Order: sequence, then C-alpha cells, then structure tokens
Amino acid sequence: MTTEIHTLAGPYVLDAVDDIERASFERHLRECDPCRAEVDELRETTARLADSTWSVPPPRLRENVLAEIGRTRQVSLSDSPPAKRKSFRWQRLTAAAAAVVAAVGAGTTVYAVQDQRVRRERVVAEQARAQAERARAILAAPDVVLRRQAVSTGGRVTVATSRLHNAGVVVLDAGAAPSGRVYQLWTIRPGGGPVSAGVLHQGQEADVVVLDGLPGATDVGLTVEPPNGSATPTLPMVADVKVA
Amino acid sequence: MAERGTGRRAEHLTAVPETPAPVDAGDLLRAVARGDEKAFGKLYDLVAPRVYGLIRRVLRDPAQAEEVAQEALVEVWRSASRFDPSRGTPTAWIFTIAHRRAVDRVRSEQAATERTIRVGVASVDTPYDAVVDEVSGRLERQQVRRCLDDLTELQRQAVTLAYYQGHSYPRVAELLGTPLPTVKTRMRDGLIRLRDCMGTGVSS
Repeated sequence: MTTEIHTLAGPYVLDAVDDIERASFERHLRECDPCRAEVDELRETTARLADSTWSVPPPRLRENVLAEIGRTRQVSLSDSPPAKRKSFRWQRLTAAAAAVVAAVGAGTTVYAVQDQRVRRERVVAEQARAQAERARAILAAPDVVLRRQAVSTGGRVTVATSRLHNAGVVVLDAGAAPSGRVYQLWTIRPGGGPVSAGVLHQGQEADVVVLDGLPGATDVGLTVEPPNGSATPTLPMVADVKVA
Repeated sequence: MAERGTGRRAEHLTAVPETPAPVDAGDLLRAVARGDEKAFGKLYDLVAPRVYGLIRRVLRDPAQAEEVAQEALVEVWRSASRFDPSRGTPTAWIFTIAHRRAVDRVRSEQAATERTIRVGVASVDTPYDAVVDEVSGRLERQQVRRCLDDLTELQRQAVTLAYYQGHSYPRVAELLGTPLPTVKTRMRDGLIRLRDCMGTGVSS
C-alpha cells in the first residue's frame, strides 16, 4: 500500500488525481515525513512551471478582487499551525523579477494610473507609460535578441536589443548592492568611453531602462558606485553584457 | 544614449506606485493573514499576472480564467493564515491554490465542445497579454523550456498534459496510450528531473 500510494506523488502535485485519491494521499503525507518533503519540493518545481504563464489580467480583476475581500471573512489565525520563519533567497529574486516585469508592463502602468489610491502627477505617469510602451515595442520586435548574464553581486541582468528599433531594453534584477553603494548602468561604444545609462537609488536592485542606439554599442556594463553614481565606472564591473 | 538622464530617473521610478523595490511575498502574506487589505493589494500586484496566466493557460478562456482567478485570489485572502513557510514559498502556495481551482473548473466542465468553441473566440489576445510574451514569457520560458526539453518525451507529455491542460492521470494515460502505473511514475520522475534542472528546492 505504502509503495503503491507513494507513486501518486507526481499526479498529486500536478493536481491530476481525483478527490478520493487526494484525500488518501494527504492522509499518507501526514505519516510520511520524507514524502512530505518530496511533495513540498515538487510543488516549488510546479510553481516554476506557473512562472512561465504570465498574462496580465484585465484591470477590473483587481477592483473586483479587492471589493470581494472586503466582504470575505478570513480563516482565524488560531486555526492555523504555528509557522516557522524561514528565508529563501530565490524567493526574493522571484519577487524582484516580478517587480521588474510589472515595471515594464504597459498594462500595469495603465491600471496603476487608474488606481484610486494613486494621486501622482499626470506627467510622470505619461512618461512612465511612454517608457513602458517603448520597452514593450522593443521586446516585441521580430528581431529582438536577448542576452542574459549573472551579476557578480547576485541576480542577473538581461539586455534585449532590436536593430529595427535601433534601441534596447535593460532589465536589471540584481542582488543587494554592497552597503552604502548603488548600482549604475553603462554603455560602451566603439571608440568611446563608458557613458552612464542611469544610476539606481540606494536599496534598489531592479530596474527597466530603454536605451536608444543600443545596437551600436559593444557592451552594457553594471558597476557598484557611491550614492548618486560616478562619472566613470568603478572597476571591476559586476556585469558586462556584450551586445555587439 | 540613455533615453532619460539620471535626473529624471527618480520621477520615473515612482510612477509604478507602491512597488518601487522588490517586496517579499512572505512578509505580505503574513500581513494579509492579519487582515491587512493594503498588503493584499501589493500581494495582488505581485502574483496576479501569474495566477491569471496559469489559470488562463489551463482554461484557455479569458472570461472563465478571470472568474476563477478571482475565486483563487479571494481564497488566498481567506486562508492566508494557513500558509506555512516551513513547507515552501508563498508563491508556490498561491499557485497551488490557483492551479487546483483551475483544474476543478476544467473537470466540472461538462460541455467540452462548448469550451472548445469559446477557445476559438478567446484566442485573440488582449493588449494586457503583451507582457507575457515579451518579457517574462521569453525569459522564464527559456529556462522552463530548456528544462522541459531535458525530459524524455513521455515525461514531458505526462507533466504538461496534467499541469497545463488539467487532465487527470488516467486521462493522460489514455491520451498517451500508456499504462497507468507508467504515467504515474513518469509524472513523478519527470518532476524530480525538472526540480534538479531548475534548482528549486524548498531549502535552497
């Protein structure tokens, strides 16, 4: 029985079992620590399969869900088992990636603007929207080339270039910068020195930047600099993506 | 040249409100469990595109996907206190809720043909979908696809027919013309191979 039921781990995690099998497998899980550990791990794996299914929902979904939760009573805290705190580095990275993508999404910007809580100046929103649309157009180009590289301080940087648009998008999703330092992006062109392509805020590890003329450059670099950035890059670069 | 100088950067960065820096889903979920609606709004922004995208992938009908996504997200709110961080990440917990809801809906759908017809109409993407295909889509899919490519044909079919299309394993066995025990085993060892390829361990 035990071996037989254990083979249900795969179908169970994929929700490919019926209700009766699910109940009996969950009973089995309560008695089998290694099985529970395996199921937990496989759930993280299937979550990654979900990561690849991004689709920005219609803005009204947010309004509807938020309205609904206002009317929905929560399961009481005392009903739940005590939770042990555990921290997962990759979970933070996933969150960072989500923030990056959210920043690129024109849809996100649109409903961010529609959000009642947001009272930002229209001009800022317009700039952000134009920027997001630009990024989206470049990423959608038929000739877009994606290059991804690890950042030595953690995380990664992705550069998308399109010759048709004569532009590129840099998506940064890095680890924390050393204390008191900020990230700065650079472009390097043939026969020229590095030119700053933007300085991030302190504590900021993710950004999306549209760069005109990027296909003419040879490198996109990332360095760690004092707050407000430097005029020339402090070497070594923490990432150097060759784009030529 | 940079499209905008460093001087304008601060303005740009505040334009996507509430999420200027990465937020931790675990912190948000704990706040949600205490009834914090504002935290729920942030959590929504973080996970809704994947919740909706996953459900939509399984159901293939945007209207139904929206409905089921709403149910799933409200369920996250309702049972947030049940999330146990020692068992995994908040996102995996949330996607488990979302996936099960989607599968329940698929299975309860009696009129499969009706759904097929609706899928035809639904295949015109909304503008919101652009992001999927263009950013995270391309990037994440590269790794997911690479890892899926590492599986044997049978493992890959077994995993994807179940996960992305919501089929039960007996149905998968039928579709693949493979004995039931084999399908069960391929689902499990396929997932184990994916786990090793993607480096997703609970304790990593």
